[in-house]
Amino acid sequence: MLNNSFFYLFTLSLFKNAKRYISITLLSTVVIFLLSSVLYISGSIKYSLQKQLNLEPDFIVQKRVGTRLVPLDDAIADKIVDIYGISEVTKRVYGSYFFDKEHSAQIVGIDLLDEQASKAFQNILRKEEIKSFLSSESMIVGEGVFNYLKSHFYPKAYNFFTPGGKLKKVKIFKVLDSKSALFSANLIIMPQDLAKEIVGLKENQVTDIALNVPNVDEQSNIRSKLESLFFSARVYSKKQMQEAYENLYNYKGGLFLVLYLVVIATLALILYLRYTLANSLEKKEVAIFRALGWSIKDVITLKSLESISIVAFSFLLGTLLGYIYVFMLGSPLLKNIFLGRAYEASITLIPHIDWLTLTTIFILYATTFLSAVLIPVWRVAVTEPKEALG
Amino acid sequence: MVEVENLNKIYTVGSKQEKVLDGITFHIQKGELVLLRGVSGSGKTTLLSILAGMEKPSSGKVLIDSEPISKLPDIHLSHFRAKKIGMVFQHFNLIENLTLLDNVLVPLVANRVGLKEAKEMALAALKNARIEHKKDAYPNRLSGGEKQRGAIARAIVAKPSLLLCDEPTANLDSKNSQSFIEQLMQMHKEGQTIVVATHDPIFETLECEHRIIDIKNGKIV
Amino acid sequence: MNSLFLNNQVIVYIFSETVLALLTLIIFVMALKFIRYWDFNSFSNFQLKLEKEANLVMTIATFLFTLKLLLLIYFVYTIDNLSLIVPGAMCGAGVISANDYGMTLLFVKIIVIFGLLLFLVVNHYDLLGKNYPLFRFKSWVIVTAALLIFGEFYLDISYFTNIDTSVPVSCCSALFGNLEGANPLPFGLDIKMLLVLFFTLYFGAVVALYLESRLLSTLLLALFGVIAYYSVVYFFGTYVYELPTHKCPFCMLQKEYNYIGYLIWGSLFFGLYFGFIWVIMSLRSYKLERIKLASILLLTLFVAINSFYVANYYLHNGVLLENIK
Repeated sequence: MLNNSFFYLFTLSLFKNAKRYISITLLSTVVIFLLSSVLYISGSIKYSLQKQLNLEPDFIVQKRVGTRLVPLDDAIADKIVDIYGISEVTKRVYGSYFFDKEHSAQIVGIDLLDEQASKAFQNILRKEEIKSFLSSESMIVGEGVFNYLKSHFYPKAYNFFTPGGKLKKVKIFKVLDSKSALFSANLIIMPQDLAKEIVGLKENQVTDIALNVPNVDEQSNIRSKLESLFFSARVYSKKQMQEAYENLYNYKGGLFLVLYLVVIATLALILYLRYTLANSLEKKEVAIFRALGWSIKDVITLKSLESISIVAFSFLLGTLLGYIYVFMLGSPLLKNIFLGRAYEASITLIPHIDWLTLTTIFILYATTFLSAVLIPVWRVAVTEPKEALG
Repeated sequence: MVEVENLNKIYTVGSKQEKVLDGITFHIQKGELVLLRGVSGSGKTTLLSILAGMEKPSSGKVLIDSEPISKLPDIHLSHFRAKKIGMVFQHFNLIENLTLLDNVLVPLVANRVGLKEAKEMALAALKNARIEHKKDAYPNRLSGGEKQRGAIARAIVAKPSLLLCDEPTANLDSKNSQSFIEQLMQMHKEGQTIVVATHDPIFETLECEHRIIDIKNGKIV
Repeated sequence: MNSLFLNNQVIVYIFSETVLALLTLIIFVMALKFIRYWDFNSFSNFQLKLEKEANLVMTIATFLFTLKLLLLIYFVYTIDNLSLIVPGAMCGAGVISANDYGMTLLFVKIIVIFGLLLFLVVNHYDLLGKNYPLFRFKSWVIVTAALLIFGEFYLDISYFTNIDTSVPVSCCSALFGNLEGANPLPFGLDIKMLLVLFFTLYFGAVVALYLESRLLSTLLLALFGVIAYYSVVYFFGTYVYELPTHKCPFCMLQKEYNYIGYLIWGSLFFGLYFGFIWVIMSLRSYKLERIKLASILLLTLFVAINSFYVANYYLHNGVLLENIK
C-alpha cells in the first residue's frame, strides 16, 4: 500500500483538506505550546539546580539544637581534617538579612585564603580587584539586591544593622551579571569576617563546615565518624540534598497537574470534533474511495497518517514556539508563577532542553490524541461503499 | 464471466424484513452489453452493488471471472473491486477536492500502481474518454457531460473486466445522454463487458447488440 | 499517595498506561465476541458487524504494540531517572527492586510486547487467506495479550504506589554483586561454564532454527534467553563498564555507555520473539522464512556485540578482566 502513488494522494488530500484540520491543529499546537513552556521552565530551573548542586560539597556538617541551626566552633574543622579520606574542608559563613518585611538577601562570607573559595571567586573578580575588594569594607551584590538598593536610594553603599543594633556601612563593589541569576539575584558576597559581624557570629564561629570524600565507597564510613564528632552534629550528604530538591520540585508539579487536566479536556474536545468532522461529506468521500477499490485497511492507513501528521506537525510547532517564548522572549507571565518573588522577575532562564522532557510531552500528547481519534477513524473507514450509489 | 445463482437480499429494518432481491439467477458472457431495467425500488441498484462487491447478499452465489465474491474478507473484496470492476455512478461521484487527473488516480492507488505509471495510465484513460483537455480542472468547474466523461475515464483506467453503470444518464441532458451512448457502444465494440442499470427510455433505441434483463419487485420478469 | 506520583514522568506514564488499558478493554471484549460468535459462512448482519470490528481490533493492536514498545523504553528511562529521588539507588536497578512488583512488571512488559508482535504476524497471514484461516487463533492471541496487559496495568499501579521514598533501596552492586561469596548464577554455574553454555546454546538454537526443529528450537531458545541474561549481567556487562565489579543490567542503558544496552537487550528480545513466533506459526503450518532469518540475524547480532566488547577490551589492554576463574 505504502508506495509513492499512495503518498502522492495522501499529501494531496492532506493539503486539499487543510481546512478540515486547521482547527484541530491550532488547538493542539496551543496545548503543546503551553505544556512545553511549563516543562521548559521547570526543566531549566531543575537544570540550574542540578548545576548548582554539582558544585556543592559531598557533606555538610551542621549543629542543630531542636530545629534551630546553631553556630559551630571552627575548631571542629581541625578535627575533621584529621579524619583519613577527607579532602577540601571549608568553613562556611552565611545567613539571611531582611531589608524589610518582604525583601531579604542571602549573605555569604567568602574566605579568600581558602583555596577552593578563591578559585570559585576568580570568575567574579579579577586578581587585581581582589586586593581593593578586601581593603575596604565592601560587598558584591546580585542584580535583584542591587535594584532594590538603588530604588531605596543606596546606589553606592548600604548601612546594615548588626544583630547588636550597630550600623555597619558596606560599599557596593560590584554587581553580579544576570546570567546565573537564578541563585545570585538575592545574593550578597562579602569577606568572611564582615559577614560574621552582620549575621551575628563570633570570631571563632562558622555556620557550617563543608567537606569532600573522593572515594565513594568510604562515604558511609566517614559519615558515621562525622556524626560522632560532637554532640548534636547533623551531617547532610549531597545525595540527600538532591533528593530534597527533587521532592520539592515534584510538588511544584501541581501546576503541571492543572495543565495536564486542561490537556485532557482539550483532547476530549478534539475527539468530539473528530466525530463531528466525520460528517456526511467525509463519509461520502470514503464511500467513493471504497467503491473504487480501497479496503477498510487502506482507508484506516490514510486517515491514521493524517492524524499522525497533525500530531507531528503540531508537536514540532508547539515545542518550537514554546522554546521561543521561554528562552528567547523570557517567558513573560508564566515565569512569575514559577518564581514568585519580586527580585527574581529579572532572572534569565538558561536554555536547556532535555530529551526526557520532549519525550514526556510527546508520549502524553501522542497517546491521548491518537487514542481519541482511533475509533472515529475506524467508524469513517467502515463506511459501506454502496453509500456512494444513488 | 458473470454467474449469479439464486441470489437473495433481505433488508431488516427494525422488526420488519424486506426482500429486495428474490431468487435472481442469470449469466453474462464476456463482451456482452446488458441492460438491467426496472423502476426505482425494483432492486436493480442493489443487484448492481452486489455485482460490484460493494454489498453482500443474504444468500446465493455470485461468481465473477469464476471467482466467488459473495463471501470474501474485505481486503480481498476491495482488491477484487479495484482490479475487476469499473463503476460509473448516477451522480458521477467525482471527489471535489481533487483535479480530474487525480480523481482518475484513485483506483490505481488501490491497485498499488507506481506514481509514474499511474499518471501515464490516467492520462491515457482521459484521452480515451475525450476529456484530457480538462485534466487539471476541479469537478465543480465541469459541466454534467464533462463530469460523466471524467467518471468514465476513472471507471476504465484500471482496465476492469466488468463495467457497471448506475443510471448513467439520469443527470444528463439529451445531447450528453446521446454522447454517452455513443461512448458506450464504442467500448462495447472494443470488447468490454458492460452492465447498465437504467430506466431511461433513451436506451430503447440502442443500435447495437444487447440483452435486456427486466426486474420487478426483486424478481427477473 | 507518595511523592513519586507527583513526578511528571510517572504521571504521564501512568496516564498513558491507563488510556492503553481502556483501549485494550475494547479489543478484549470484541475478541471474546469473535471467539463466541464468529461464523464466516454466515451472511447475517451481526457477522458483517464482527468483520468490521476485526478492523478496529487490528488497528488498536498495531497502536498498542507501537506505544507499548515506546513506553517500555520510557519506563526504563524514567526508572533510571527516579534513582535521583529514591534514596540509595544509583541506577534503575535499585528503583526496580524497591519492591517485589518491579521485576515482575518488567518481565510482564516484555511478554506483552511478544504477545502483540505475535498478533501482528498472525493477523498479517490471516488477512492473506481468503477465509480468515487464522481468525480464531488470533482472537485467542489478543485475548491472552489483553489479559497480560491488564495484569501489567495492575502491576504498574502496585509498583508505583509501593515505593517507599523514605526507605533506602540497594544499588546495583549490592543487588548483583556476589556478596559474601554466594554464587548468584543459576544451576551452580561458574563464569567459565556460563560462557561455554552461552555460546553452545546460541549455536544450538541457530542450528535448530535453521533445521526447523520446533521442539529443539523452543527448548534452546528458552534456555539461551535465561543464560544470555546472566551472561550479560555477570560477564559481558563488566566489559561494557570496563570494571570487573560492576554487574548491572540497567547501567548500560545510560548515556555514559552510548545507550548500548538498548541495542543489546533489543537484539536479544526481538531475536527470541521472532524465534518463538517462527515456532508458533510453523505449528499452524506456516513456514516463515523471513521471520526465521530475522531471528537468526538478531541473535547473531546480540552475540556479536557482546563478544565485541570483550575483544575490544582485550585488544586495548592485552588482558581480560579478572573474573574468569
